[in-house]
Amino acid sequence: MNMLREQVRADLLAFSRRPETLFFTVFLPVIFLVLFEAIFGDESVTLASGDVVAQSALQVPAFMVMGVISASFVALAITVVNRRETGTFKRVRGTPAPAWVLIAGQVVTSLVIAILMVLVMLVLGSFAYGVRVDLDHLPWLVAGVLIGAIAFSCLGMMLAALTPSSEAAPPLANVVVLPLYFISGVFVPIESLPNWLGTLAGWLPVAPFVKVATWAYVPATTTPWRSLGLLIAWGLLGLIIASWRFRWTPRRG
Amino acid sequence: MPGVTPAISVKGLVKRYGDRNVVDHLDLEVHQGEVLAFLGRNGAGKTTTTEILEGYRERDGGEVLVLGQDPATAGADWRAKLGIVLQESRPLGALTVRETLRLYAAYFPDPRGVDEVIALVGLEEQASQRAGRLSGGQQRRLDVGVALIGNPELVFLDEPTTGFDPDARRQFWDVISGLRDLGTTVFLTTHYMDEAQVLADRVAVMRDGKVAALGTPAELQALRGDVEIRFVLPHGLGLDALPALSASPRLAGTEVRIETTAPTADLAVLCGWADGRGLELEGLTVERPTLEDVFLAIAGDQAEATT
Repeated sequence: MNMLREQVRADLLAFSRRPETLFFTVFLPVIFLVLFEAIFGDESVTLASGDVVAQSALQVPAFMVMGVISASFVALAITVVNRRETGTFKRVRGTPAPAWVLIAGQVVTSLVIAILMVLVMLVLGSFAYGVRVDLDHLPWLVAGVLIGAIAFSCLGMMLAALTPSSEAAPPLANVVVLPLYFISGVFVPIESLPNWLGTLAGWLPVAPFVKVATWAYVPATTTPWRSLGLLIAWGLLGLIIASWRFRWTPRRG
Repeated sequence: MPGVTPAISVKGLVKRYGDRNVVDHLDLEVHQGEVLAFLGRNGAGKTTTTEILEGYRERDGGEVLVLGQDPATAGADWRAKLGIVLQESRPLGALTVRETLRLYAAYFPDPRGVDEVIALVGLEEQASQRAGRLSGGQQRRLDVGVALIGNPELVFLDEPTTGFDPDARRQFWDVISGLRDLGTTVFLTTHYMDEAQVLADRVAVMRDGKVAALGTPAELQALRGDVEIRFVLPHGLGLDALPALSASPRLAGTEVRIETTAPTADLAVLCGWADGRGLELEGLTVERPTLEDVFLAIAGDQAEATT
């Protein structure tokens, strides 16, 4: 346990000292929320159920999800590839440290950052944009964010396992998530997409995550069991492929 | 002071890549507490052998015991007794020297103190600096510090000074000499002859996947007992004008070279011959081969290296 604590401490320190990851992971989702609120914040939306809700009640959870994915998927994949390619993992595998400490260190670190992002969004939403989580649904939000963060950590490990080099990691991770944000109700309401695109997005992992988070803010909708199930399924798929393809040593040389 | 059981014992080690034996029935013993320099050209199989000893690669044949255990099956208790400096690894740039050592200390059951290790590798002034801002030589010393933090019995150093300037190398050598004084066994892979001469108790030269020569630097030097007599061929004369010597002379440019095991007798004949003709033998020297020459002779031509 001491080992894991030191690992997480070191990983968090290293994370906080890399300005580029800090910007893309922590600040970019916040900047997006602030911009979208400035542009669409006063509007309200009529849902498929007929309920009318403030646009903010959709935007805050959407960018919360973006923050969690940035930490648990994008940043995690980039860091893991980097540690592998610089020989850091190989080196630690030559010490008595068990393998799980390295993986757990990375995953716990990204979970800590993800939780930080959720708190920032909760506070911003509540105090700046006047949207509050329904108190009955708060445990659901916590559970949903944890399940989503862990599922995306597994997908992040999968992406890391499939990424050939340190240089390829940031563009690959972003190429995967940016289109998904567009079709999953983060930048654009999912209702305004063509049917086929909405259906496709519904099966991919980002839209279910957005649905779970939105549910805490817009309680009228039914319990998103299907979305939670999809998230877990994606997480398991990521885990299987990651453990199949994962390696500790650099690909080059 | 060789211990009762060797720190490393290798018998008939084989590693194949495709149908080529990169390591080809290699035998080697490393005594406890000694610094063994493991030399060879690039592609001779040094790193492959080292990584098998470290437990990173599997072997295709032979027996290997490192600190009494087989690296292929040894566990965390075994790795706790090793310190490894890889050829290509660099410390995490964002952590300071002290933070890096603190993290690695947590991996080991019985680590050295962080400050003790910082002093051992001479990074007191850089202790609070981020590893990414250290010079190449300082980063490598931090690498060694990371290898020492677990209080290892055996340290592997794979080409630790490649790319160093002369100052950095000398400082690094001091660190390694300090290790020997602590009684740590050091397995040092290098392709610098002077490094082996300064640091090593014994030198093993690898060629074509085998140990081609093994001994103290002095013993290796004695392997080629020949002394070379050199002088500039006097103007207007050919090699056939020289007197009969114990070995046949050859010409390198205008310089005559005679590799001889009887330098005193040959010199007497040569000098008598030259003096009798009123010739001055310009550039007359008698040289013992350096360890470098011995290495070149044993390790084979550069052209044979494959990678």
